[in-house]
Amino acid sequence: MNIDYIIRISGPMLEGARTTVLLFLIVIVLSIPLGMLVTLMAKSTVKPLAWIAHTYIYVMRGTPLLLQLFFFCFGLPQIPVIGQYLVMDRFVAASLGFILNYGAYFAEIFRGGLLSIDKGQHEAAKVLGLSKWQTLRKVILAQMFRVALPAVANESITLVKDTALLYAVAVPELLNFAKTAVNRDFTVTPFVVAGVIYLLMTLVLTLFFKILEKRFKFE
Amino acid sequence: MSSMIEVRQLQKSFGSLDVLKQITFDVTPGEVVAVIGPSGSGKSTMLRSLVHLEEVTGGSISICGKMLVENGSYTSSTAIREITSTMGMVFQHFNLFPHLSVRDNLELAPRTLKRESVQQITAKSRELLAKVGLADKADVYPSTLSGGQKQRVAIARAMMLSPDILLFDEPTSALDPELTGEVLRVIRQLAEENMTMIIVTHEMSFARDVADRVFFMDNGEIAESGTPDEIFGNPKLERTRTFLMRE
Repeated sequence: MNIDYIIRISGPMLEGARTTVLLFLIVIVLSIPLGMLVTLMAKSTVKPLAWIAHTYIYVMRGTPLLLQLFFFCFGLPQIPVIGQYLVMDRFVAASLGFILNYGAYFAEIFRGGLLSIDKGQHEAAKVLGLSKWQTLRKVILAQMFRVALPAVANESITLVKDTALLYAVAVPELLNFAKTAVNRDFTVTPFVVAGVIYLLMTLVLTLFFKILEKRFKFE
Repeated sequence: MSSMIEVRQLQKSFGSLDVLKQITFDVTPGEVVAVIGPSGSGKSTMLRSLVHLEEVTGGSISICGKMLVENGSYTSSTAIREITSTMGMVFQHFNLFPHLSVRDNLELAPRTLKRESVQQITAKSRELLAKVGLADKADVYPSTLSGGQKQRVAIARAMMLSPDILLFDEPTSALDPELTGEVLRVIRQLAEENMTMIIVTHEMSFARDVADRVFFMDNGEIAESGTPDEIFGNPKLERTRTFLMRE
């Protein structure tokens, strides 16, 4: 393991890490609101909406993420007639798979958060004259996010590591670069460098959520 | 004097179980009513049905001349909100919003409903916190308060919308005995200011002291009602006597 070599491969590997970070950001930003929406649908009194939400959660949690990625990247174009319109850039297709998968997990996390809120909170808000929607926005969601925060942090860290699945659908990212370098240079060093980069990313996330949890301690 | 609250033949059943049986009473402006009785007698259910936290299955409730429910059928949901907004409620378990500071607990509803200017609202929350003796706690979160302090915040919060009627559902039952005094003092002060109140309570000496009228509820009905002297001094019914002896 010499320093020159590490510096030389770090350039392209950080390049790969950019794809990793980009995917992470896209998925987090879109799957959290999606999860929120699905939670509300699952709690809805309109039965078909609740039914759709539960089915969606069941399918996305009940099948491997890798299968879902294959489905969006390689499966969709094979569908007769409409398949030709479903050919997407592989990064876009993979992002879609990640968003739908993580949306389902976030939905379950938020549902757990909602269950933890005492019904006295609804009653107090109602007696104070707040509408159902005002109660949800100003009383329930804030508390739900607080309860859900540790689980959301956990899920986010899992997502950082799951981005490595892009390797399987041949989108160049961090792990892809590391593997290429290992094959080319006959050394284990690129794997170690990749590991360190993943650790740095999860460290930043861990610290970020620690700060959030402290900020929303309500003490 | 016309009635603030008129309840007629109020009835609520779960299947074959009657939780409330033909409850009828009036409350006049400025009156303080204490409701006593064994657990499961329907005290809380009766109180909660006045603010539509429970739906009744029969009878009528009229608040300040407006019908909330008439012969078992409720008015429109907008009207329900309007009618119940004339009442404040204080719960056994406080039900403060844990994610908001004490001040924001008070100001959330008035700010959301926008019936008054922000200056009026902040002035009022300051005044009410001072009134319940918690002016210095405006910026802390409820989790840092004692039970007695939490309940005083809850009372101040209920007062923010200037209700005509205040309802208390066992306001001291979740408190350590040494903390009930500070809460009862605040309620007593409101009574002296002629607030119309219904108080479900297990504090017999407080009920005797502060109430104009006492309802003894048992088995889903108001078994006996009268002045504190009548109920505590000379109860007519055997079951009232038995209950008071046990308390």
